[in-house]
Amino acid sequence: MATTALSRAPGPVAPALPLHRRGVAALGALVVAGAACLALGDVGGAGVLSLGTTLFAYVALAQAWNILGGFSGQMSLGVGAFVGTSAYTVALTMTRLGWSWLPGMVAGMVVAGALSALLAFPLLRLKGDYFAVGTLAATMALDAWFDNWSFVNKSMGVSVPIQAVPGQTEMYVIGLVVALLAVGSAIVMRWSTFGVRLLAIREDDLAARLMGVNVSGYRLVVMVVSGMLIGLAGGVFALSLVSFVPDGMFAMSWTIEALVMVVIGGMGTVIGPIVGAVAVYYGITTELANFPTLSLFFEGGLLLVIVRFVPGGLWPFVVRSARRLLERRGPAITTARATSPPSP
Amino acid sequence: MNATTLVNGVLEGGLYALVALGLSLVFGVLRLINLAHGVLVIGAAYAALELFELFHLGPFAALPIVIVVAAVFGYLLQRLMLTNLLLKGPEAGIVGTFGLAVLGEAAFAAAFTSNGVSLQSSLATSSVKIGGVTLEMVLVAACAIAIACAGGLQFGLKYTRAGSMLRAAAKDPSTAELMGINVRLVFALTVALAAALAAVGGVLYGVSTGFAPTSDTSLLLIAVAVVVVGGVGNVTGTLVAGLAMGLVQAISVSVFGGGYADFTVYVLFFVVLIARPKGLFGQGAL
Repeated sequence: MATTALSRAPGPVAPALPLHRRGVAALGALVVAGAACLALGDVGGAGVLSLGTTLFAYVALAQAWNILGGFSGQMSLGVGAFVGTSAYTVALTMTRLGWSWLPGMVAGMVVAGALSALLAFPLLRLKGDYFAVGTLAATMALDAWFDNWSFVNKSMGVSVPIQAVPGQTEMYVIGLVVALLAVGSAIVMRWSTFGVRLLAIREDDLAARLMGVNVSGYRLVVMVVSGMLIGLAGGVFALSLVSFVPDGMFAMSWTIEALVMVVIGGMGTVIGPIVGAVAVYYGITTELANFPTLSLFFEGGLLLVIVRFVPGGLWPFVVRSARRLLERRGPAITTARATSPPSP
Repeated sequence: MNATTLVNGVLEGGLYALVALGLSLVFGVLRLINLAHGVLVIGAAYAALELFELFHLGPFAALPIVIVVAAVFGYLLQRLMLTNLLLKGPEAGIVGTFGLAVLGEAAFAAAFTSNGVSLQSSLATSSVKIGGVTLEMVLVAACAIAIACAGGLQFGLKYTRAGSMLRAAAKDPSTAELMGINVRLVFALTVALAAALAAVGGVLYGVSTGFAPTSDTSLLLIAVAVVVVGGVGNVTGTLVAGLAMGLVQAISVSVFGGGYADFTVYVLFFVVLIARPKGLFGQGAL
């Protein structure tokens, strides 16, 4: 037995995707949550629909960043690159080719995924810091290129044909589906054999390689999935903004938003980025919408404070504190149960 | 494309080298790309602007004060912030310095508006003509200062006691600690030195080019590209790469137009990363 195991070529020893039990449970919970959000959209008014659409897109953005940065440890500063390419693909296919929004969004996702694969080639061979700066450079390069490229109207930007934009209810459902896809991908990646190997790569890529994990293959898959999900979110932003310019769609602010949401919520967890997206969106983005400088100030400051004092993020911190509280109360509850008469 | 453009491009490259030296130093010693390095550069330029508004000090009279302030800031930054982050791993360093960059941009925009400004100096408008080539004096000064700083740094790293302590701490912090070197102090002084170099670069950049709160990102990327091309911790390599970067940018501006100036640098950065991740001149003294 041992000899056959040793003589096998290094590579995946078991199929990579059997979902663990917690993953199945989490996917079940996700379906329930999705149905609840759908019902909420049904009873809520126009306010709920438009707020919800943007919030869902941010959840997808944060979760997509988290899949790459939190699960595989590749810190990207290039969220804008994928938001921008996808948004431009959506707008251009709809205006120039007359496509409707669905094939447009799929095209945006595919192009964003292709960009990921293209960037993966130079970037994945490098260690963490270079990856961060490389993604940043890619975003700045695309911004500079689109600003000067007459095919995309230079810095004048492009727009989605307004009559082809889906209605508010449809947008809500589109946003919800995109968010569910992102969270679903995160669940599958977190609680599966694939996810365990990913964690092994994040913690020590050399050791993972020696155990037979195909390190660059796994990183490539994660990077492409993350790019495609950011592309989908970018499609939602394109459809809800209708018209946009390169400086807006390839902006650093996408990276800042995603990073703040994930870092506050808890990098490398599934729930954390959702919590972070809701907290940052309601606490900062909507509250300080008219004060961009102040909101940047808060976001930068929050990044510093969280990474300095609560490095795991708020969600793991809350879970830990709650567990500690329950444990302290634990014995009291058991005594109470023991003395109380058995329930009928 | 004429000789004046090319020569001034190379001279402007001296400025890039100056900005990149500090980044290279921190990268070589702390193994961290300080994403807030551009903010340190721009911050020095804003500090010089403030000193002019308060005391009517010219940029070059303000320079010593700005250098000292930057060095103290760098020291405190390492002591209070970066040490702690680096102990938590590379992710924390990236998030923390990125947060600092975002915070810095917002602070500059709040204090000085987001419009572009430049530092006024008689040097900014004067030029000298040598054999048909017009040299901008401020760029000549920047290039000369860059060469002087690189030379001083190289000498200091190689031939002084402090330099060997720094190299030892960079190579192997725990062994250096065992040999009686106060590694934390050495690290903090390294960041202070890097911030001082950034300050010199920032004031010269403010005089020659002008700046805005968001100028830091393109400066950071140019500096990283220079460091990558020159080799991390390689002082001479950084200087040469900086000058070369200035030349390449000048050529691309005259061929493709001004809009593509930064684009060329970013593309070049990727080309170097693909072709020679260790840089064209290899690892340096650190």
